[in-house]
Amino acid sequence: MIEELEIILETTSKILQKHVNHSLRQNIVSENTDILNLWNDIEKNGLPKISVKEKFGGYEIPFFSILPLIKIVNNHGTPLPLSETILSNYILSESDINPPNGIVTFTTNTKNLQIKNNMISGELLSVPYLNLTKNLLIVHELNNVKKAILIDEINGEIINKKNFLAEPRYNIKVENLNIAEIRPIKNSIDFNFLGAILRSAQMIGAMEKILDLSINYCSERKQFGRALSKFQAIQHQISEMAVELSASSAALSTITELGLGEKNSNDAAILKIRAGFAAGKIIAISHQVHGAIGFTKEYELSYFTKNLNSWRNDFGNESFWEEFLGKKFLEKNNKNLWEYLT
Amino acid sequence: MSKFNFPFVKETNELSNLRKEVREFITTCINNDEFTPSPDAWVFSADPSFSKKLGSKGWLGMSFPKEYGGHQRTALERYVVTEELLSSGAPVAAHWIADRQSGSQILRYGNEKQKSSIIPRITAGKCFFAIGMSEPDSGSDLASVKTKATKTKNGWKLEGRKIWSTGAHLAHYMIVLARTSSASEKNRHEGLSQFLVDLSLPNVKITGIPDMTGQRHFNETLFDNVELSDDSLLGEEGKGWKQVVGELALERSGPERFLSHFTLLDSFINEFRNSLIHSGTKIVGKLISEIQTLRRMSFSVASMLQNDESPETQAAFVKELGNKFEKMMIETLREFSNIVPLHEWPNQLQNLFEDATLRIPSNSLRGGTTEIMKGIIARQLGLR
Repeated sequence: MIEELEIILETTSKILQKHVNHSLRQNIVSENTDILNLWNDIEKNGLPKISVKEKFGGYEIPFFSILPLIKIVNNHGTPLPLSETILSNYILSESDINPPNGIVTFTTNTKNLQIKNNMISGELLSVPYLNLTKNLLIVHELNNVKKAILIDEINGEIINKKNFLAEPRYNIKVENLNIAEIRPIKNSIDFNFLGAILRSAQMIGAMEKILDLSINYCSERKQFGRALSKFQAIQHQISEMAVELSASSAALSTITELGLGEKNSNDAAILKIRAGFAAGKIIAISHQVHGAIGFTKEYELSYFTKNLNSWRNDFGNESFWEEFLGKKFLEKNNKNLWEYLT
Repeated sequence: MSKFNFPFVKETNELSNLRKEVREFITTCINNDEFTPSPDAWVFSADPSFSKKLGSKGWLGMSFPKEYGGHQRTALERYVVTEELLSSGAPVAAHWIADRQSGSQILRYGNEKQKSSIIPRITAGKCFFAIGMSEPDSGSDLASVKTKATKTKNGWKLEGRKIWSTGAHLAHYMIVLARTSSASEKNRHEGLSQFLVDLSLPNVKITGIPDMTGQRHFNETLFDNVELSDDSLLGEEGKGWKQVVGELALERSGPERFLSHFTLLDSFINEFRNSLIHSGTKIVGKLISEIQTLRRMSFSVASMLQNDESPETQAAFVKELGNKFEKMMIETLREFSNIVPLHEWPNQLQNLFEDATLRIPSNSLRGGTTEIMKGIIARQLGLR
């Protein structure tokens, strides 16, 4: 399986190198044939269903093992919700729903949601890339049971379109929309944890890119007669980026290796805290060392920093997970800290 | 960035059992009043009899080969033992440097006589070391050392002074970095060599320097034309820089870079558990996330050492993050005093806190400053 995954990673890098460039990122609409071509190549290689069960036509590679793929996709700044599709399809498949072809986006954020006669009404909030797909996974709790709700013909009134940050996000009001499938989600799957892990892996991919951009820019840009990278003040700032990034990557590889179980749910919380914190540092420092050029739309840095700003707030920010960790330790046991940690 | 990976390493059941064994031993020691947990114990709290006891338990020189009295266990096993000792504030300062770096350095570069005469005593907890790197005019700029070793008929003559030599007044040996020939214009790292110096030799003069806490661990060590035997040279003449860089990886990557004040945190949480449940879950969560990440990274470096890799850069990452965490931890506890004012804390906790506040500036100086760590990282990133 590891060999299989390595081949997939290599193929993915090639596809993304071929298609993704900064002008593509500035025209994320379904009419853009370049976007369509990219998606077709992605789909042809089976990436959307990489963690889907074989019986539904997937590769059935465990979700946690494919986190390196999520990293690569976002390291390239791919302007498509492949990460969202992979996670949605995984949840669908685990809930015994055959995932549809094409892009699948997700949301857990809803307002006044009502389900009657296999139809759904209410507001769906902060849905990524709704402009590119009709397929939507809603994760929603009904009578204390978490349900996976698949919509395959999403349709409604757009009440807010957010595009301050890099990815398109929509709030949409739907009325009596047909539900394609609805099934309970296994107890072992917690979408909030998986979402936090997904966003962390995406952030780490993006942060690696930002570090590379910063190193390259500072090595080329000359001021006061020498490259910026020769100034100790700059070197130390970039080192700080690398230090925070390495801590996040270490936290990510724990999850990649162990997966997510009862015993190590703390590791997922730690990952989101580290990645979110690192993102804050890295956004600030990378823009600082880039100067004004980094603040332009043309230069690609901002695509990555904008996404970081968006992802670090999804599925619980640092404070949310710090509270989670602290509460869990303080309330649920009487061990002293060291015993608890080890 | 791929070269700065910290691969995940699992703590096996065997390691967890070892952890338990060490913990039980420490609890017994504390219950028998053999030591009082203290902060920064690996620098400040030396107890040769405790070191000997650890030696007889087989917990010193753990990874050293059996033929030299070692136990041929892994760097990961040693890691687990050191974590337990540090987190309980045990008096480990006497043997710390010998066990952490000097022993490995001798095993790696030493000749047969050096190995067979010294290593068994280190593993027994009877032979202690001091570090001979810094000098009055060479702090961060280590390559500028002026201590000189000159070849004589029977060996070497050592002249110069080393400073900030922690524990030299208790140590039997010091590994001294000295110039054996002048640096070439292109490469100032050339012409340096390491020497294994017996501190009981004539003309070695050790003077204590009280630090700002008033305690003595610092020393100045003067070598006033000390006659060294021929086999005092450690490793190869002129290769001292390369050797010392490897030694620093051992020095920087361990859990002492983030567990020096763990006893304070532990007592703090035990004391204020109930208030923390109401108004401090977030800060406790933050601290847990920091410690666990650091443990995870430091353990990974231990595994790199076990595999004979050279994790000098990764060690710098651990030290830098660890130092930052410890400073942040003390600030976090200080902020909590708006909920329970400091003067209402139990005396012992107040003392621990003030002590930590006093000592904390040194954590990002010893073993290489923050600036040096960032410089090392910047070099690896291709910036210098």
